Amino acid sequence: MAAARRNPWVPVAGLAALAAWPLVEPALPASLQVGEPLTEVFIYAILALGLNVLTGFTGLLNLGVAAFAAIGAYAYSIATCEVYPFQLGFWPALAVTGAIGALAGFALGAPTLRVRGDYLAIVTLGFGEIVKDVLVNLDAITKGTQGINPLPPPSLLGTPLEARGQYWLYLGFVVATFVGVRALERSRVGRAWISIREDELASRAMGIRPDRAKMLAFATCAALAALSGALLVSRLSSSGEPSNYGFEVSIIALCIVIVGGIGSVRGTLLGAFVMVGMNSIVLVRLTEVLGSGAEGMAAAAPAADAGMLAHAWHFVRTWAHNVLLTPTNWKFLLFGLALVLMMVFRPQGILPPRAVHEDPPQPVPPGSEGVRA
Amino acid sequence: MSAILEVKDVTMRFGGLVANERVSLSVRPGEIFAVIGPNGAGKTTLFNAITGIYEPTEGDVLFEGRPIRREWTAADRIRGLAVGAVSAVAAVLALNATALWTAAINDRYVMGEPFPWGGALGSVPATLRDAGFWTTWFAAIAAFAVGRLAFGAIWRAQRRTPDLVARAGIARTFQNIRLFGEMNLVENVLVGMDQHFRSGYWACLVRTPGFRRERERMRRRAFELLQFVDLADEAAEPARSLPYGHQRRLEIARALATKPRLILLDEPAAGMNPAESADLMKLIRRIRESGITVVLIEHDMKVVMGISDRIAVLQYGKKIAEGTPEAIRNDPVCVAAYLGTEELG
Repeated sequence: MAAARRNPWVPVAGLAALAAWPLVEPALPASLQVGEPLTEVFIYAILALGLNVLTGFTGLLNLGVAAFAAIGAYAYSIATCEVYPFQLGFWPALAVTGAIGALAGFALGAPTLRVRGDYLAIVTLGFGEIVKDVLVNLDAITKGTQGINPLPPPSLLGTPLEARGQYWLYLGFVVATFVGVRALERSRVGRAWISIREDELASRAMGIRPDRAKMLAFATCAALAALSGALLVSRLSSSGEPSNYGFEVSIIALCIVIVGGIGSVRGTLLGAFVMVGMNSIVLVRLTEVLGSGAEGMAAAAPAADAGMLAHAWHFVRTWAHNVLLTPTNWKFLLFGLALVLMMVFRPQGILPPRAVHEDPPQPVPPGSEGVRA
Repeated sequence: MSAILEVKDVTMRFGGLVANERVSLSVRPGEIFAVIGPNGAGKTTLFNAITGIYEPTEGDVLFEGRPIRREWTAADRIRGLAVGAVSAVAAVLALNATALWTAAINDRYVMGEPFPWGGALGSVPATLRDAGFWTTWFAAIAAFAVGRLAFGAIWRAQRRTPDLVARAGIARTFQNIRLFGEMNLVENVLVGMDQHFRSGYWACLVRTPGFRRERERMRRRAFELLQFVDLADEAAEPARSLPYGHQRRLEIARALATKPRLILLDEPAAGMNPAESADLMKLIRRIRESGITVVLIEHDMKVVMGISDRIAVLQYGKKIAEGTPEAIRNDPVCVAAYLGTEELG
């Protein structure tokens, strides 16, 4: 019995809806206009798809994927910003960024080939922190905590793109990443990765070379993470400061993979919409709505000579405004809660990976059987 | 007749435990050779030593007259030097990053004016000279040594790995079945075929026409192998969901997919009912007929006596007998090993 085929129209319809969104959005009421944060969803989707190659397919837990995004962000910034002599265009800079990201992947992958499980998680966690600190301290090159700006906007065929064009371009990058990762998953490369996750010794005994496969996984993960970093900074027109690429970013990427379904490409994509959508759209909107519904809550402080009770009442109102009515402040709480709920009710993720990637061919005519083809 | 597999005085020691002591076997091409013995006799350890999971403490394993072992070639020499050189350059760049960048870029670039690319690297020697001995020469030499030594250590540890043995032409199955449970049967077999694929990373990424043709051809061959072990009907099932006896046959198909000249089967009949083990005997004979030499570990005496050309008996890590099934059955030492000696008195 073949695994149930999914409806092929679901991805087509989803893509069409996303592509049409910028055209439809202006006609919608203001509270439904979410265009800007959707681009952030796309950037996180690329980061998480890269992480899924390493952690989902190959089973190597990486808690420092943000470091690769940081390397990509800074490589892109240095390659394009006018305060450096390089000043590459958008596309050549992306190519350079991808190559530098892949090199960074090799640099982390090579010494850690024999480190597995918890130990690898600790090494990658350390790598993430080290990269962040190096970027701060190499301030002659990276401008330290100032960040690098201004960066030229993304462009296509020599034309700089404004917000809507960027949206479509980034959507295109997500689609290309998705298609590419899927193609790898369903080829010998992905099979080697998954066989290492399932049983490294058995895959070795079948002639798979785990070192090569793991290096490819590291390089793929790092190149995609670097790409996401470059896309992020080119949209913001600034590299931001190194602490923007900290442990939280790594953990959000990991949450996306886990919530979506570890090892599942479709799940990871959906996870990006769920997690980043909740973080950047739902919580922000909720905060706005609650805030506007309770204007009076954050009233001006009472006069200094007002009674003790007035001060206490003001404190309670401010607290309620800052905590209860500002869900964006709870985002890590909600991420944690989402993870706990997933682990309890659906540990395999929202869209777990299909067990089967390769359908058997049509039966061959009798007589052509034999061990040696 | 020269042996296809020659185990010469192999000793496997784990601390104080001697799992194999000076075991020698000589398997001829085209035969079915059985290794039997009570539990804990060291049969699986011997298989692991042959297939590169363990490195024999003493002794040699020869396949087709040669040890399966990487030799230190000119290419390895160059690779080692390259690793050392890259480490040296990386160390010097890392230690002098700020000075080098400042001299080459920051001091020479004025925003808005064209950058004099021609002399960009001219400042490097002076910068490194100013940086002093410790961050240039010492760092370069130390990093070169570390990189080169690390390469050598890794190379030495990898002289005889299971993947090298598998690629040399020895395939195996495992006593405690080790399939890829989440993959279906076709995919499990395709993993075994991995070394025969030609398409590389980029061809897989962009799905070139050559990649598609190869994929179709390989899938077909995988399916033929499933037909060979009589599992074609379940080809699309995940391996995890198969009954035990079928999983053993799938492991055989996956091992055959590597196109071996020698296959090692570790207790292929374990957990099979009599009808299944009769089928298994037929399958093993068909494998031999296709030109593959078979070595098996088995406890089921009906299977062992029914298909083996020769049998070796291990006990407490030592070989105590070797010969035809007839000879083994009548050998008092072997009977004693299995049934114990009669108590006298």
